Amino acid sequence: MKWYEKIGVQLFEPGREQTPGELVFFKLFELFVIYYTIKFAWDWGLYTQFRNTEVVLPLGVANYMDISIFFEHNIALINAGLISIFSIAAYFRKGPKWLYMVVMVLLHIQYVARFSQGEIPHSQNLIGMSVLCFAVGAWFFPEKKIMPRFVLGSIIFFIGLGYTSAFFAKLIGTGINWYDGRHLWLWISEKSIDILSREGVYSANFLQELALKSTVAASIILLIGWFTELIGFTMWWKKIRPITTTLLIGMHIGITLSMNIRFDAFVIQLILVGYPWYKVIDQYIKSTPAIIHKWI
Amino acid sequence: MNKEYSKKGMKVIGVIFVIFALLVAPHEGEFWPFSIYPMFSQAGNPWTRAMVIDVTDHDTDEIWEAHSLENLRGNPVPVGKYGVDQIDYSNFMSKTRNWTEPRRMALIQMFGSENIGSQRWMASKVHGKMVGEDSVAVIVQPFLLFTADSVYMNPLLDESEYFRGGN
Repeated sequence: MKWYEKIGVQLFEPGREQTPGELVFFKLFELFVIYYTIKFAWDWGLYTQFRNTEVVLPLGVANYMDISIFFEHNIALINAGLISIFSIAAYFRKGPKWLYMVVMVLLHIQYVARFSQGEIPHSQNLIGMSVLCFAVGAWFFPEKKIMPRFVLGSIIFFIGLGYTSAFFAKLIGTGINWYDGRHLWLWISEKSIDILSREGVYSANFLQELALKSTVAASIILLIGWFTELIGFTMWWKKIRPITTTLLIGMHIGITLSMNIRFDAFVIQLILVGYPWYKVIDQYIKSTPAIIHKWI
Repeated sequence: MNKEYSKKGMKVIGVIFVIFALLVAPHEGEFWPFSIYPMFSQAGNPWTRAMVIDVTDHDTDEIWEAHSLENLRGNPVPVGKYGVDQIDYSNFMSKTRNWTEPRRMALIQMFGSENIGSQRWMASKVHGKMVGEDSVAVIVQPFLLFTADSVYMNPLLDESEYFRGGN
């Protein structure tokens, strides 16, 4: 067996029988992805329509087209409407099997229209990657027994890859001294201005106080976070996955406390894909509801 | 799922990964939802953010000097209350190279004349950097004073601060 086939065994678990709990969990997870897809489409669409006036930073396809056309004539809102309709249809398996791919393309356009103002947020990336994995799964692995495993396995693959990639981006961007605690001081002060500006008030919490008092404490905080990113790819192994996931969730709580950056959808998604929830559901249901069979 | 499909699944992931690499490589690591997650990768650099400060109750001759965060001239205006994204506002302030008339008036448009009312608000840049080995210095630089219908540039700053050329 080749090395990548071994990773495939860990991600897709080909030897394990499909259970009712697995299918129910899969549709619940898909519902979570659809909910955030529609929410983001409207949040971005409304902001684009009412706030964006000119392109400051072109991202993605905005490098090759004039994305400012989405700022007027309600085009961003129409796009949000289309994303909503297509997502719901795709959820219920109505329409062609490439419908999720259309949602992916429209959502990309919605993102680059909204975030053409200079900010490059990442908290919505996991939802975007999930839509992509649903798109590829629905198109190339539409069979009921295959699609759930491919979708969840590929999502886990790209989550793990993303964290480890973030580790190397820091190593290349700054060097081995990235974890110097004084770097955290700069970020805490920068984020404190954001909070003060957004809300009019700011007060440091206990973790920020601790980091600002001691370079050693600040360095340890950064080092723990950086190391956790490095081992992100260990999510690929099913036995280690819950441990890695727990460490990653802890890291996100640390980022929220130290730098006031929240990753709600990110963390909920980690909780959903990082643990074998289907085992819990299997304890309560013995057969797959007919309606779930219809929607897989 | 059998082993054959598992193998095929990994090959499809491999194809997605290649597309991922081809898209992010020429786009500075970002092609949503693909990303190499470069946030916070360049540590230790000075930063610039922005705030709005309500200077209605302060005399005009005392509002233009740069000052520390502890000596703010007036109270911070919570921009989120007016539906403005703080990061977008910061980028608007720090990345604008030429403060032309339309660009200055866009500041009023951003917050809405009706929200500004009879108040005088100062759009300030906030600079942070390491000083020595063990402290961060934060300086607030008043930049544009704006009311419901007018925007004024800081008379203490050189014109080159407002018109830096290029796009």
